[in-house]
Amino acid sequence: MSISLRQVSKRFGSYAGIADLDLEVPTGALLAVLGPSGCGKTTLLRIIAGLETPDSGQVLLDGRDATHWPVRDRKVGFVFQHYALFRHMSVFENVAFGLKVKPRRERLAAAAIAAKVGSLLELVQLGWARERYPAQLSGGQRQRVALARALAVDPQLLLLDEPFGALDTQVRHELRRWLRRLHDELHFTSIFVTHDQQEAIEVADAIVVLNKGHIEQSGIPGDVYDLPRSAFVHRFLGQVNEVPVARRDGRAYIGPLDISANAEAAGDGEIALIRPHEIEISREAGGWSATILAVRVIGPIVRLELRAEGRPANEPLEVEISRERYAAEHFGHGETVSLRLRRWQLYPAESNA
Amino acid sequence: MSSRLGRLLLIALALVFLAMFLVLPLIIVFVEALSKGFGAYLAAVSDPLALAAVQLTLLVAAITVPLNMIFGIAAAWAIAKFDFRGKSALITLIDLPFAVSPVIAGLIFILVFGGNGWFGGWLQAHGVHVVFAVPGIVLATIFVTFPFVARELIPVMQAQGKDDEETALSLGADGWQTFWRVTLPNIRWGLLYGVLLCNARAMGEFGAVSVVSGHVRGLTNTMPLHVEILYNEYNVAAAFSVASLLALLALLTLAAKSLLESRAPELRRRAHQSRDLARRERV
Repeated sequence: MSISLRQVSKRFGSYAGIADLDLEVPTGALLAVLGPSGCGKTTLLRIIAGLETPDSGQVLLDGRDATHWPVRDRKVGFVFQHYALFRHMSVFENVAFGLKVKPRRERLAAAAIAAKVGSLLELVQLGWARERYPAQLSGGQRQRVALARALAVDPQLLLLDEPFGALDTQVRHELRRWLRRLHDELHFTSIFVTHDQQEAIEVADAIVVLNKGHIEQSGIPGDVYDLPRSAFVHRFLGQVNEVPVARRDGRAYIGPLDISANAEAAGDGEIALIRPHEIEISREAGGWSATILAVRVIGPIVRLELRAEGRPANEPLEVEISRERYAAEHFGHGETVSLRLRRWQLYPAESNA
Repeated sequence: MSSRLGRLLLIALALVFLAMFLVLPLIIVFVEALSKGFGAYLAAVSDPLALAAVQLTLLVAAITVPLNMIFGIAAAWAIAKFDFRGKSALITLIDLPFAVSPVIAGLIFILVFGGNGWFGGWLQAHGVHVVFAVPGIVLATIFVTFPFVARELIPVMQAQGKDDEETALSLGADGWQTFWRVTLPNIRWGLLYGVLLCNARAMGEFGAVSVVSGHVRGLTNTMPLHVEILYNEYNVAAAFSVASLLALLALLTLAAKSLLESRAPELRRRAHQSRDLARRERV
């Protein structure tokens, strides 16, 4: 199912949920809607599902105006952040719910329902749990029951609201991969909402970054990460160092480093955003001299905190290098080193949103 | 040592208080009821007028409780699941019967439906008797017992949120299916509890019913009113005999209530335990 939103707005009192939002999702896509809490991403999902009605604008499903269709006519599977499993029903009854409430002439026979629920439970690897109750399952298991339940009615579109938000890291990772596989096997359109940029980049074909109810940027995860169009997106998609840009005599500087050769991209740029892995660290003098304040080994990477010359003490720069490089060079705590920039991006200073 | 003594003293005080004000009266009801022997007790209870009072009380409860169950669910549903203007006013309004003296509640119905009241003349001209008849008693009882079910359900429904209902709708259920299959099972314990309290009050209500009933023996006398009449006629043993039936009802209600309380928290606790257990497992 393809989805188009045209100039959709929704306010809650004085607070703008989303404002004049346009969005196109092609059939079969796996889209991540990414943004900080309160950016309107859940509202967006609920409008597509039909759980909220937009104040203005249109929702098109497969090209047909579905703005005022009731939830049950939309063929949409919705998975809530907290699963919303029916606690008085067993796992089997939960998954069978959507099949049993169908009008009689569309309803499958009991045996067919049992068979379908059985195969769905196998799909989510919970065949053994059919007689259990939700309270007897772990968070990850519950989430998979919720998914199986949503899939039981053959939705054209699967909407997931922070699907892995309440799970611990390892379970999250496993479920993400599993969701991706499921999506590829079953060929429906999926949209999931998350505030975790890593999750979005890892799972989705396309991401949409939402801020204060409007789309900041959308595209392929790698592109959005590499070429953020605003400081907001740049900051939101990963760690950044923020350094003011100084302009003297027609030249531009980050710290003592002359960046004039590459500073015309954002002529009025006043602030530079640099990711930790975009800073080169060495013992060769001539760069931006800095003192190592802390060294943290984090699995395959090593993160160094440095106080660069001329920078306030409470705003250290973060630099990431590979474990191998660190083993070879062995930068030590308190050592003075030299920094060079491989890559940076300039933004107007007032774009603090 | 002294703190332990203090504790014992406090416990003893509480027990004495409880015995004097709750247990003793209960015992006295039964002792007085049986003071003239078991035969007299049975005679008093099976007196046609007493039976008529029991019948009327059961009838009033049978009408009042289901109606207030429906009103209560509807009100709690509206308050817990929707946002609308005047919501807090509605909550206050639901509590009104608790705040108003039952006698006033009775008088309201006299003023509205009585012979000299707003609609009284018109109703009488059309042969409808509300005040000093069964409809008035039912109305007064509905008013007095209105908050019980709603008060019990609002917090339960608010805590559960809308997710379950929205899920059911997204799975293709219609409004009725959602209510019967999802909402009702989720609130069943709270509902049962509210209905129980509502029933106890409906059967035991004196003040409001006394004002609108007119005390016509065998016709508009409920059990509590019948007890009063017998007592005023110095027929103490008979009065206590009928009162003992009400006391039995109260005891039954209490037993059912504590059974519910022990059952529902147990369900809740069990859910918590297994959740904690499950959290420690891997997916």
